[in-house]
Amino acid sequence: MHEIASLDRSRRTDSLGELAPRAAKTAWIVGGAGLALAVLSAVFFDDGWRHFNYSYLVNYAFYLSISLGALSFVALQHATRAGWSVTFRRLNEILAANMPLMAILFIPLALSLFLPAAAPYVWANPDLAEHSPLVQHKQPFLNVPFFLLRSAIYLGLWIWMARFFFTRSIRQDVSGDPELTVQMERFSGPIILLFALTTTFASFDWLMSVEPEWFSSIYGVYYYGGATVGGLAAAILAAMAAQRAGYAAQSITTEHYHDMGKLLFAFVVFWGYIAFSQYMLIWYANIPEETTWYLDRQSSAWLPASIALLLGHLFIPFLGMISREVKRRKVLLGFWCVWLLAFHWLDMFYLVMPSFASDRFPLGLIDLGLLVGLGGLYVGGLLRTAANVALVPTKDPRLPEALAFENL
Amino acid sequence: MADHASHNTPDSSETRVAAVLGRFDTAAGLKAAAEKVRDEGYRKWDSHSPFPVHGIERAMGIRPTILPLLVFGAGLTGAIVAMFLQWWTNAVDYPFLISGKPFFSVPANIPVAFELIILFSALTAFGGALILNQLPQFHHPVFASEAFRRATSDGFFISIEAGDPKFDERKTAAFLESIGAAVELCRVPAAKPAIPKAIPWAITFVAALALLPPLGVAWYRASVKREPRIHPLHDMAFQPKYKAQSENDRFADRRAMRPPVAGTIAQGGLMLDTALFQGKDSEGNYVADLPVPVEESVMLRGRERFNIYCAPCHGYSGGLPEGAAGDGDPRSWDGMVSIRASQRALTGDGTWTPPRALHSDYVQDQPDGKLFETITAGVNNQGVQSMPGYAKQISVEDRWAIILYLRAIGRSRNAAADDVPETQRTADTGGNR
Repeated sequence: MHEIASLDRSRRTDSLGELAPRAAKTAWIVGGAGLALAVLSAVFFDDGWRHFNYSYLVNYAFYLSISLGALSFVALQHATRAGWSVTFRRLNEILAANMPLMAILFIPLALSLFLPAAAPYVWANPDLAEHSPLVQHKQPFLNVPFFLLRSAIYLGLWIWMARFFFTRSIRQDVSGDPELTVQMERFSGPIILLFALTTTFASFDWLMSVEPEWFSSIYGVYYYGGATVGGLAAAILAAMAAQRAGYAAQSITTEHYHDMGKLLFAFVVFWGYIAFSQYMLIWYANIPEETTWYLDRQSSAWLPASIALLLGHLFIPFLGMISREVKRRKVLLGFWCVWLLAFHWLDMFYLVMPSFASDRFPLGLIDLGLLVGLGGLYVGGLLRTAANVALVPTKDPRLPEALAFENL
Repeated sequence: MADHASHNTPDSSETRVAAVLGRFDTAAGLKAAAEKVRDEGYRKWDSHSPFPVHGIERAMGIRPTILPLLVFGAGLTGAIVAMFLQWWTNAVDYPFLISGKPFFSVPANIPVAFELIILFSALTAFGGALILNQLPQFHHPVFASEAFRRATSDGFFISIEAGDPKFDERKTAAFLESIGAAVELCRVPAAKPAIPKAIPWAITFVAALALLPPLGVAWYRASVKREPRIHPLHDMAFQPKYKAQSENDRFADRRAMRPPVAGTIAQGGLMLDTALFQGKDSEGNYVADLPVPVEESVMLRGRERFNIYCAPCHGYSGGLPEGAAGDGDPRSWDGMVSIRASQRALTGDGTWTPPRALHSDYVQDQPDGKLFETITAGVNNQGVQSMPGYAKQISVEDRWAIILYLRAIGRSRNAAADDVPETQRTADTGGNR
């Protein structure tokens, strides 16, 4: 066991190195092409810019959720002093450290507030707000300056949390100082608390306020559940990609994939539990101002998407991933990660887009362009962060425990 | 065992070897040894360690457990049982209409299904783990060894039991020694310890006692008794009070219920004002005008009462336009009960007499007194009570207030363009309604 550990420590250059800038360049070119496609479509199609803004929010929420899921994973591992997950932690730290990029990508959303006719945030449009007493009532909270201030606070705090873990972890790669681990453990509890508050309110502000008359207090937990599914799936896929390219080959084993698969499975169920909790209370109470949200999503245009989510985000992966063997086979686990990322994206689409068009399922070139475009920028950002750091925290005091870890 | 068979009265000091115990110093040593024992072909053996040793189940050749499959099956059973239970109780055995909701609806039943999935799965996981591990096990030959106590601190042991087909006291001990174990023989008394005779007797006695209550219940259910039954709480069964229609010897007519004293009337029971209380004048004709003041407060009160008591069937607007009623589409109905009942009647589930449209001439042409009587006594067509009387729920004054509101409904639903003030007319009010 200890031989493996020392072997891994001897490979100090287990970082992407030169590969990273080249791959990042490709990612940025692909991303630029995607964005160009989206912008062109927005120019040429009717109502194109409105669609662009809504779709931008969908894709922004999607990529942000991956970083948030990864951030909560890192904080959770420190809070529980987990040993098994050390080999997977660096990848999650890198995913979370993409937060500054997410702050830059927020700028178009902030700017859209000043184009009230095309913004997904109808409450920012004074003409529309005038006709809704409920929106007027919420004006002290939902107004442009306060909204921007809150957004800046969320992004600022997340950047700080991600940097906090990332910088200490790579400092430990050099010094091997166990005091850094102790420090991260000590801060992880308060960080989880802050994370819960910021994620809840950010999802209220950025996603729920798309429908400013509607409200659901469980919405933040719903977004968090989906985000963790996205983050875990992305981390597993990132590990598989790195190992295919020949990195971290000995440190991340079937046992780690198995445990990540278990967590992913658990959060698939968690997402379903929360989604149903929200649905059932609203369905049972049958209060008009709450049911409107689901009425839109059960209209003939959106019902297939709702049912696809129920099956594809809960029942099918539940049955597909329940077996131990599935989680221990890379091909199968990888398949379910891709599947879940696809349905997590559909979930984000389902949260936002019915407000754009409740009478049709408005999937189009713009959405595809933005998915690829923001995706390219996101992956490019990841590769830039990952360039000079080892993909496994090589001097973490719990690394030997992680390497020796076995599922019973 | 052979020794035991040859003696009719075995000596309690005689012992036999029930297991061979081998101690190893490290977890790694235990694992390596376990692989050798497995390859040697032993079956009835086990390894004991102070903490879980990774990979020991592979080293011992233990096949993967079927427990997950059992739990999955139990979870599925839980889901099916929960759905069946709710469907049977709510939709079949005792259907009970609650605010127009369907009798069986999947979303409402998911929480119970979820709980039963967990209950069944958890009990199966717990019980299954015990059974598959053959627990609880009260005795094991290794308990005979003093050294075995170290299995909870620093000892790593392998025990091979005498029940194993390959077991041979000397060969097995030599084999364990050859793979690096400190070997000890676990001796237990050769005689099977006898169960004290009191135990089976006690069990039989308790079982017999346990049969008494169900027997008693069965006996009482099957037999007819002439005597009154036993009352454990006498003063609760027989209270010093008179029940309706019972006897009381204190009075000459021996009736416990007393009729009102002749020539008297209860307070508020006089009701001489027949117009107010019956809707009729002194000659028995229906009154044409309201016996209450026509004021805005009365109108508002009438609307409030109407929306509570009348609207569930008649609808907030008083019913459909003339001619639209009864066209077979329940959604065209106004009034929650009407919609639901006609939906069910359409599928052959019961019958439904649609309520009158309250703005129709049939209703609006009736004198106020007649409407009052209808609200008070309901509508009874050839013995079928199609509308219940509301005398119990709605006070006399409120009934008149509702009638005032009914007139307002009739007026507004039959309004012409001229009724709209000149200044407020738009293109929309050009029509008849």
